[in-house]
Amino acid sequence: MKLPVDIPSLKIDSSKHQLCHPAKAKDMVKIDLPPERLPDWKEVMLRKMAEVLDRYRSVRLFLDLCVKCGACADKCQFFLGTGDPKNMPVARADLMRKVYKRYFTLGGKVWGRANESEELTEAVLREWYTYFYQCSECRRCSVFCPYGIDTAEITMAAREIMAAAGVATKYVTEVVAKVYDAGNNLGIWAPAWKDNCAFLEEDLKEISGVEVKFPVDEVGAEVLLVPPSADNFVNTNTMIGYAKMFHAAGISWTTSTYCNEGGNFGLFLNYANLKKINNRILEAARRLGVKKIYWGE
Amino acid sequence: MAAQIFFIYLPYISAGIFVLGVLYRVWRWMHTPVPLRIPIMPAPRTRGGVILRMVGDALWFPSLFKGDKALWLGSLFFHGFLWLVILRHFRFFLYPVPEWVAGVQTLGLYAGYLIPLPLLFLLARRLVTERNLYLSILSDFFALILLLTVSISGVLLQVFFRTYVVEVKAWILGLIFFRPMIPEINWLFGLHFLGIMVLMSYFPFGKLMHAGGLFFSPTRNQRADWEKRYVNPWDFPVSYNSMNLFPPEKYRPAAEEGREGGKE
Repeated sequence: MKLPVDIPSLKIDSSKHQLCHPAKAKDMVKIDLPPERLPDWKEVMLRKMAEVLDRYRSVRLFLDLCVKCGACADKCQFFLGTGDPKNMPVARADLMRKVYKRYFTLGGKVWGRANESEELTEAVLREWYTYFYQCSECRRCSVFCPYGIDTAEITMAAREIMAAAGVATKYVTEVVAKVYDAGNNLGIWAPAWKDNCAFLEEDLKEISGVEVKFPVDEVGAEVLLVPPSADNFVNTNTMIGYAKMFHAAGISWTTSTYCNEGGNFGLFLNYANLKKINNRILEAARRLGVKKIYWGE
Repeated sequence: MAAQIFFIYLPYISAGIFVLGVLYRVWRWMHTPVPLRIPIMPAPRTRGGVILRMVGDALWFPSLFKGDKALWLGSLFFHGFLWLVILRHFRFFLYPVPEWVAGVQTLGLYAGYLIPLPLLFLLARRLVTERNLYLSILSDFFALILLLTVSISGVLLQVFFRTYVVEVKAWILGLIFFRPMIPEINWLFGLHFLGIMVLMSYFPFGKLMHAGGLFFSPTRNQRADWEKRYVNPWDFPVSYNSMNLFPPEKYRPAAEEGREGGKE
């Protein structure tokens, strides 16, 4: 099969300099993370890594299991785009595998570098920060791995470990903090959300002549709709589409100003925030007394 | 004394490391929880479907087929030949020799002659292709060269430098029934057996454990029964801090102005 892109030859370190902006202290404290990198970051990270290894079979198994067959190597779009060998899924996971071997396996403790193990140093942390944020957690590599090794699981673990020591990116932490302030990633406040809904009602009436409601925070509706917040702000045709569909089907529905966001950026940060954001949807559903949640992104 | 160590103590030690090491690794994986449901789609919905998927993964590597046809062929031949060769070797461990072991002798013989070929292919692709050379580490080459040593010495034993197999079998059965003896064998068999002992001792520590680990891989052995609730065994409650402007206690949908309701 002819691929739409050519598989690049290796360009060592070609995306080494593409670093994400670091997180801001004001966002970090809102999402229960250290405001900046802790002085004892290394110890904190190793403690967190031990915890993650004991909590996620996926991470421990995937670090143990890889045979470096290379089936995943040319499957990552970040590798195809940059040619940087550290963007090959196996090499990305190796960044953590080396540290795992050094501190958590017999071979690494006894044979050290000969067994491809590595101390957790400033340079290694920089590599983690660079390449674990050049993974989009799409899981494409896992489809081609004979053992189902999912590099996204390793990426999530690495980000969780770094976050515990106060190392994270601005994009992710800012968005998560916004959810706890406004209910959605874009930071649309409740009055603005209602206003937008009213505006779309008028719009739809003007276009079609049909009176269609865009209910907000309506207790007793049958369905809680959790759209991406952009649908009420940028991609408004989609929002109008939802309303038309519900109207035509005769289903009573509502959005909630408490959880008007279908995308969960906790996935890109750590488990606690992932759960906290999802919890908002359940909380809203309980208070509104809905029977179903429709949830899309 | 040296003969005693080589033919009696080392076999017991390497077999002990192999069994205990594998059990420890498997125990460790089994006792690490799986917090989330992460099967690779399309995933089976039933337990039977999962068993079929695992059998397929273990025998004909469908994921590799999707990813890399040459590698798929190479590893399929290697693992297939390896199975046949191992089955053939059961004639040294079992007395009397059962029917099925006798039946696999001819196939096992040809598999044994051919097994160095896929191994050489797997070695060559690590050395020749740029990506694989970059990501290969010492233990990858170690495992391949060890397997090549064992298989080539085995072929030579069969074809050119034959040793007296009745003596070998007497010694192996002696080890199994704890009546050890020291056999009269040639140097090449010594090399063949040394390779096996190194392989057994190394097996639990390195990547060769993929043989057992595959069956514990959550992305392969989970069902896609999304409608059932999946509980994370170490789940914890979440709380809001004073800096969050929109915590749950500030959300009062029933008190909204101009909206009807009042269920709460």
